[in-house]
Amino acid sequence: MHEGIAVVLKAEQLGSVFGFPVTNSLVMAWIVMALLIGGAYLFGRSLAIVPGKLQAGIEWIFEGALEYMGEVLGSEALARRFFPLIASIFLFVAAINELEFFPGVGSLGIVHASQFFPLLRAPTTDLNFTLALAAISFFTIEITSIAVLGFFTYAGKYVNLKSPIGFAVGLIEFISNLGRLISFSFRLFGNIFAGEVLVMVAGFFLPYVLPAPLMGFEMFIGLIQALVFAMLTLFFIKLAIMDPHEAH
Amino acid sequence: MQQLFSAFGIDWRLLIAQAVNFGIVLIALRYFLYTPILTMLAKRQEMAAKGVADAERAARALAGADDEAARRVAAADAQAEEIVSLAREAGNAEKQRLLKETEERASAAARDAKMRAQEAAARLARESERDIVRLAVLAAEKILKKQYD
Repeated sequence: MHEGIAVVLKAEQLGSVFGFPVTNSLVMAWIVMALLIGGAYLFGRSLAIVPGKLQAGIEWIFEGALEYMGEVLGSEALARRFFPLIASIFLFVAAINELEFFPGVGSLGIVHASQFFPLLRAPTTDLNFTLALAAISFFTIEITSIAVLGFFTYAGKYVNLKSPIGFAVGLIEFISNLGRLISFSFRLFGNIFAGEVLVMVAGFFLPYVLPAPLMGFEMFIGLIQALVFAMLTLFFIKLAIMDPHEAH
Repeated sequence: MQQLFSAFGIDWRLLIAQAVNFGIVLIALRYFLYTPILTMLAKRQEMAAKGVADAERAARALAGADDEAARRVAAADAQAEEIVSLAREAGNAEKQRLLKETEERASAAARDAKMRAQEAAARLARESERDIVRLAVLAAEKILKKQYD
């Protein structure tokens, strides 16, 4: 077993099923999925015309979010189309980030070859998850752009042969778009992973006192990061559907 | 690059698995949460719009009912005035008729009484004549009787 602080950058593999690696972040993703889907199922079934306080609150948030998306995208139809994606990104990432500090996550595990393997690890501290989410966001943005602007206008954003400056701008635009994949995934991964390490270090140096407030703070950061990921996807969709000349 | 991937544990199979996980969450939440809530919101909006339209219709109907009531009251007033006027005219006519009838009856009664009085006077006169004649005869008898006794 480790003495002191053990910082593991990648998710630990707990086993494999038919050669498929099962990591602790994957297990936690499944648990969060089950909780989210179960909660959604129970809540969706209990909806009533005359709402209770919880339903009224959630409906208020939904209406507000939808209205805000409509304002950003400039179209209610587009807002309705992208609402499930944006809301799911926020809910999934927020649920993972909040459950990260629940008892058992990171502390329960198995010892194998005198090494401790936690059973659960927040998927947002696994680059596979953040990169997958970033890729979904990236492809949604680019496909939306092609669908709305048309292929040639879309391609014209990156390949501009009218002038050397235009060509350079197109190239920069292309690289910056590709960079989104990195920035999206590493922003979320870095923030949440750093928070986890911070709490771990605080627990090592000042146990019983410092970790609790820091956990509260990190839970807040988790919400903010979920919001940032969802909002950036929304804003990039907006930029993607704008005419290139209008966008600049 | 391979070192970087290895350090962060990037594995394309896990990447796809996490993407599939998100896809499942997206589909399930869309089916179980977003669609029911948005449907409920639309339904409630529809009900609110219907409620407002109903209230407007009711207000219009109320205003219409007020107008109708006022119109009917005015018509009833006019009708009542006409009825009162007709009743007054009929009353006056009846009054005149009754007065005339009473006057006629009174004058007939007076005529009748006068006639009866005249008849009674005549009868009395006749009876008086007869009594006078009888008294005269009786007086004559008495005188004659005294003379011949």
